[in-house]
Amino acid sequence: MNQEAVDHKNIFFPPGGILLWIIIFLELMTFGVALVIMVYESKAEPVQFHDSRLLLNVTYGMINTIFLLTSGFFMALSVKEMNFYGKQRLKKYLPATILFGSLFLLLKSVEYYEKIEAGLGMGHSTFFNYYWMLTLFHVIHVIVGLIILISVYVGIKKESTTIEDIEASAAFWHMCDLIWLLLFPMLYLLF
Amino acid sequence: MGKTITITWVFLLVLTITTALISEIKDTYISVLILILAALKFTAVSFQFMELKKAHLFWKILILSYLLLFIALIIIIF
Repeated sequence: MNQEAVDHKNIFFPPGGILLWIIIFLELMTFGVALVIMVYESKAEPVQFHDSRLLLNVTYGMINTIFLLTSGFFMALSVKEMNFYGKQRLKKYLPATILFGSLFLLLKSVEYYEKIEAGLGMGHSTFFNYYWMLTLFHVIHVIVGLIILISVYVGIKKESTTIEDIEASAAFWHMCDLIWLLLFPMLYLLF
Repeated sequence: MGKTITITWVFLLVLTITTALISEIKDTYISVLILILAALKFTAVSFQFMELKKAHLFWKILILSYLLLFIALIIIIF
C-alpha cells in the first residue's frame, strides 16, 4: 500500500500542488471576468443575446457536460486507486478519462462545424464572438490537458513520474471541468 | 473503492440533466436557479473530485469566495 506522503492540510500543499492551484485561480479569474463582461454587454443587446443563445444546441452542451464530468469521475477514481495501490493502478481508469475527454472534443468539433455551416462564425454577433472566444479558449485547455494525460499514461513506468506530478495533471484536468461548468449555463441557458 | 466519488458523479449527472430541463421553463427566477445549480456542481467537482475537502481551510474559503463573488456579480448585472 502506497499512502500519500504529503500532508494536504498544510496550506502550502493543496492536492495537486500550490503552483497548479495558482494557475487554476488565474484561469478561473480570466474566464470569470470575461463572463461578467459578457453579461454586462448583453444588457445593451438583450434581444440579440436571447435570439443567438437559442441558436445553440442545448442537447450538445448537456452531453458534453456529461462527457467532461464522466472523464473527471474516472480521473478522480484513478488518483484514489493510485494513492492506495501505487501509480501502476493508473492504467485501470486513465484510458476512460482520456476517452471521455476525446469524446468532448469530437462533439465540440461537430458543433463547431454546424455553426460554421450555418454562418454563425466569429463576427456574426456579439454573443457569437463571446461564444467562439470562450469555448475555443476552453478547448485549447482540454487539448493541453489530454496531451498531459497521455504523457502521464505513457510515462507511468518512469521513475521521474512522481505521484505529485500525476496529482497536478489531475488537478489541471479537473480545472477544465470547472471552467466548462461555468461556460455551459452562461452560454447555453442563461440568456 | 470510490463510493463517495461515484455518488458525486451521479449527483452531478442528475444536476446537469435537471439544469437543461428547467432552462426550458420561462420564468424570471429560472436564471437564478440555473446559476445555483451550476454553483453546486462547481463545489462538488472542486471538493470531491479535486479533493479540496482534504486541503487547508484557506483553499476552501478561496474557491468558495470566488464562486460566491462570481454568482453575485452575474445576478446583480443580469
